[in-house]
Amino acid sequence: MGKPTGEREAALAGLKVLDLGGTIATGYCGKLFADHGAEVINVEPAGGFDTRCEPPFLPGVEPPENSALHAYLSANKASVALDVEAEPERLAALAAGAAVVLDAGRFAAEDFPTAPNVVVSTITWFGRSGPYADFQGAGGVCWSLAGMVRNVGPEAGPPLMIGGCAAEIVAGLTAYIGTLGQVIAREIGNASGPVRLDTSVLEANLCFTEVGGVGGFRSGRRGRRLGVNKFAPTYPLGVYACADGWLGVTALTPNQWHSFCELLDMEDYAHEPKYQTAIGRLLDYDVLEPVIKRQVRHRSAAELVRKGQGARIPLAPVPTMEELFETDQYVAREAFATVEAAGGVRFRAPATPFRLFRTKPLRGGRAARLGEMNEALLA
Amino acid sequence: MSRPEFLKGVRVVDLSMGWAGPLAARHLADMGADVVKVEGCVRFDWWRGWEATQEWIDEGGAEKSSAFNTVNRNKRGITLDLGTPKGSELLKRLVAVSDIVVENYSAGVLPKLGLSYPVLAEVNPAIVMISMPAFGTDGPWRHYRAYGSTVEQASGLPHLAGEADDPPTMVHVALGDAVGGLNGAAALFTALRTKKRTGKGQHIDLSQSECLFPLGIEGILTQSVTGQPPPRMGSRSSRFAPRGVYPCVGDDEWIAIEVRSEAEWQALAAFAGIEGFRDAADRLRRVHELDAAVGAFTAGQVAEVLMMELQALGVRAGHVASGLELAVDPHLSARGFWKLMERDYVGELPHPAAPYRVGEEPFDIDWPAPTLGRDNREVLSDLLDLSAAEIEDLEAQGIIGSKPRLP
Repeated sequence: MGKPTGEREAALAGLKVLDLGGTIATGYCGKLFADHGAEVINVEPAGGFDTRCEPPFLPGVEPPENSALHAYLSANKASVALDVEAEPERLAALAAGAAVVLDAGRFAAEDFPTAPNVVVSTITWFGRSGPYADFQGAGGVCWSLAGMVRNVGPEAGPPLMIGGCAAEIVAGLTAYIGTLGQVIAREIGNASGPVRLDTSVLEANLCFTEVGGVGGFRSGRRGRRLGVNKFAPTYPLGVYACADGWLGVTALTPNQWHSFCELLDMEDYAHEPKYQTAIGRLLDYDVLEPVIKRQVRHRSAAELVRKGQGARIPLAPVPTMEELFETDQYVAREAFATVEAAGGVRFRAPATPFRLFRTKPLRGGRAARLGEMNEALLA
Repeated sequence: MSRPEFLKGVRVVDLSMGWAGPLAARHLADMGADVVKVEGCVRFDWWRGWEATQEWIDEGGAEKSSAFNTVNRNKRGITLDLGTPKGSELLKRLVAVSDIVVENYSAGVLPKLGLSYPVLAEVNPAIVMISMPAFGTDGPWRHYRAYGSTVEQASGLPHLAGEADDPPTMVHVALGDAVGGLNGAAALFTALRTKKRTGKGQHIDLSQSECLFPLGIEGILTQSVTGQPPPRMGSRSSRFAPRGVYPCVGDDEWIAIEVRSEAEWQALAAFAGIEGFRDAADRLRRVHELDAAVGAFTAGQVAEVLMMELQALGVRAGHVASGLELAVDPHLSARGFWKLMERDYVGELPHPAAPYRVGEEPFDIDWPAPTLGRDNREVLSDLLDLSAAEIEDLEAQGIIGSKPRLP
């Protein structure tokens, strides 16, 4: 189990959570419950959850224990291997008193009579109604439909999808909020009885673009993709090559623009009337961008960040994956913790991103072997 | 209908501005909490506008921001000049009768106003308070200023996106904000559960840049376990092909296709009449040739129609939507995702549903975002027992008001 939380009871102590979904989204939702002290049980089919087949894989470790992603999602959770269709009695016994069942679309609120106040939290790609309800989902497809792809990439196209599983993580995080809301409602007497809460990955990811949807409704126009690292209405904004690495720039307000110009010896541009708004500067991108690139190219990103932040400009380094683990701020805050996969291999992974000072979350932790708790939990 | 009452009896003081903090508080409001948003007439929520002029104020500019109006529905709105002793005292009285405080000022702002967590915890020991500066409440960057874009940059995630010869590539104008807001809500619900069980409040520290790490988890773990970052390959995948965004009929029309199984590939190849690729390994090896073949087929198709046709065959596909298309998307419409509501100064505006629902219908929304200081009288008299004369006096002193002022 993860590093102990100290003497105080964990925030979610006493909650039993069963994951019957086995997706990245349910896995991340369950991980947040586990990080904050709930008893989370992965109820896996004989071959294990699909997340066990997700990369990256731990060198030298055999399946089904070699997925680092699965281990990250499963730290501090128990694992049982159970054919829930064939053994409903054992599932009922396991679910006794459960506060939450995480589901990918198979179960209803009434399916768990031994858990009379259960929240069946179902995460599906597109929700359970509407013309896309039966669509096959994937992260890039979902982000495309959510408006998260169209504005990324070169002006002429094609727009760019990212890899990885961001859409599923956002859905799991969103489902955690809704699910815990239902749990609290039951604990404080504002709701009772079993309930199913539905979260759609698509709608969860509209958090990024809902304002764009409102803008589209008001203007009746489609926005244009502007190019790599070029997004209305903010300019300058982007990632610039410096002598020692990459510099992240945002200068939105007039004051930030003035200070930015001073920092980069661009005073000639600072008070030009048309550059007093972010949009005005964006319209002159072709004039300003080469100047900014030239002015930062031979300077130190670290130094520009230090001086720029001193002048209240939101600048930041853009650490590479290798640098990320050694970045001062993240080292000082212990942003990474150690996860131990079932075979004993340890690796660094992000710690839970929000920290409660009184009821401290677990940091890192060990992932259970497939079916490791069968004897203890299914006896 | 009205919004659900799951959190009836929970009161939230929302001092936050911009996107992340207000979004966190919106989740509480959507589930029935009484969220009181506190702004100042001079220090109003900067998402109302960050380039204020007198002309803009006179034209009601502060009430027209789609961004502000989208994240502040279901909240009550008051103004208090927190820089005055009276404003500060009234805020403390409000905190005394609340459960939660949400703030996302830069570190140092609230202490300067004499309203830091230790002060507010003295007023109300059971208060749950979240501070969500960009980089958290400690460490060498704790005072750094940032927007959602800065947070994306500092998270390193741009190194996981884009083509190999492009600079590290951002995917949003303010990626960190929405994710910070979701994590803020998650943290508040977590602490609220403890408070309701034990009566004990606490302070929550949230780093918006660390909140982004899980979104890049595959890349971060690849570095962690192999010592190498994953290759930057644009939309392509090292595991599946085809995976990409392909042109369709019309101006800037595209379809995303992600084939993840042989059955999907067989269905796509038969439908598109593509031949000559033996298996997945062959498709990955000849991916540029494959993308050209898929693109040649899609170029003659209408994106939304092709999406329906491919999905009917079990192929993962989705058209590449713009904001305008989100507003009229048939799926979102059928699910009641947008609710049209009248709002002063802007007329009818669509409001997005909460992203989770019980049953078929989304949670209802009671009212749109408050105009500046809309609920001053109601909140100050109902919650703080101020008389009409006292409220008028506050107005006369400029401590409360309903019109923005320049500094």
